[in-house]
Amino acid sequence: MTAMDPVSALTAMREHETLLELRGVKAAYGTIEVLHGVDLDVRPGEVMAVLGPNGAGKTTTLKVLAGLHPLAGGDIIVAGRRVNGARPEDLTRAGLCLIPEGRGIFPSLSVRENLWMASHSGRPLRAIEEVAYGRFPQLQKRRGQVAGTLSGGEQQMLALARGLATDPAVLILDELSMGLAPLVVEQLYAQVAELARTGVSVLVVEQFARVVLGVADRAAIMVHGRVSDIGTPHEIESKLSSAYLGG
Amino acid sequence: MNTDSIGGPGGPPGSDARVDQFRADVADMRLKDPATGLDRLLLRLGVLGMIGGPVLAVIAYFLSHSATGAAAPLEQRDALIQALIGVAITIVGAALYVKAAIAGFLRFWMARLVYEQRRERDQISTR
Repeated sequence: MTAMDPVSALTAMREHETLLELRGVKAAYGTIEVLHGVDLDVRPGEVMAVLGPNGAGKTTTLKVLAGLHPLAGGDIIVAGRRVNGARPEDLTRAGLCLIPEGRGIFPSLSVRENLWMASHSGRPLRAIEEVAYGRFPQLQKRRGQVAGTLSGGEQQMLALARGLATDPAVLILDELSMGLAPLVVEQLYAQVAELARTGVSVLVVEQFARVVLGVADRAAIMVHGRVSDIGTPHEIESKLSSAYLGG
Repeated sequence: MNTDSIGGPGGPPGSDARVDQFRADVADMRLKDPATGLDRLLLRLGVLGMIGGPVLAVIAYFLSHSATGAAAPLEQRDALIQALIGVAITIVGAALYVKAAIAGFLRFWMARLVYEQRRERDQISTR
C-alpha cells in the first residue's frame, strides 16, 4: 500500500469533512472588487451563519457560490471538488439550493403552481406538496391563493418549501428574516434547525444576528468583502458590535 | 439525485447517504465555461469581422485597380473573390455581433422584468 504524505492526508481529511469551501474567493462588479479573498467552510449537517453589516459582500458571496456571479479569483470547493465556473443549474441539480433575498417566488402564480415549478427536479407534485404542507401547514390552507398576496412569512415559507422540493444537500439562505415579524422569523429558523438535524448543511446570511445565532453551529462575520472572524455563536456574538459599528 | 431521502418532516436523522450522493453528483458534474464567456467571444469575433471584412474589400478594390498587363483580368477576378470574402466576413461578423448584443439586452430585459415583478409583489404585500 502506498503511504500518503501527511500534508496530502490532512488535506484529504479536511476536504472530506467540509461539504462546501471558499478559498480566497474574489468577485467584482465591473472594475470594482467587492470580495477581497473570502475564506469560509461548511461541514455536513451544520448551520453556518454569515453575519455582517449592509454592503459587506454577504449576498455576493452566496451568488458566487451558487454560480450566479462570476468568480474573479480563488476557488470554490464543493464536496471536495473545485467547481469554479459551474453552471447554477448543475449545482442545483447536484443538491445545492439557494433561496435568494426577496424569496424568488412567482407572485402571480398560486402556492400550488409555485410548488409545481419545483417539479423540474423530477419529483412528483404530490410528493412536493406532501413535504411542503407537512412542514408548513399554513401553506395548505392557501394552496389556491396567489403567492403575491401571501404575508411575508408565508412567502418565505413557500420559498423554503420550494427549495426543499429539490431535496437539497446544502441549503443557502439569504436574509431569511428580511421584512418579517420576529415571531415568524423564530418559526422559520426553528424549521431551518430541524432541517439541519436531518443532515442538510445550511449556510445562512443574515444582518440580524440574534435569532440565527440561536440555531447556528458556527458563525462568521463579514466586513468589507472579507471574513473577519469565524467561531462559535457565543464567540461571534461578543465581536458583533465592533463589526457593525466599525470599532 | 436522491429524491426521497430528506426534506420531509419525518426524514431520517442524519443523512450520510444524501451527503454521499451529493459528493457523487458533484464529482460527476461536467464543468463548462460560463455562457457569458461565449457571448463575449462572439461579440469580439463579430467586431473583428465587421472591421476586417471591409478592410479586405477595400484592399481588393485597390488590387483590382492596380492590375495591369495581360494578367490583369485574372488579378481582377482574384480581387473580386477577395472582396466577396470581405463582404461575407462583414455580414457574418455583423450577425454575430447582433446575436451577442441581443442576448445581452434580453438578459438585461429579463432582469428588469423580474425586478419590476418583485417590486409589484412587495407593493401588494405591504397593502
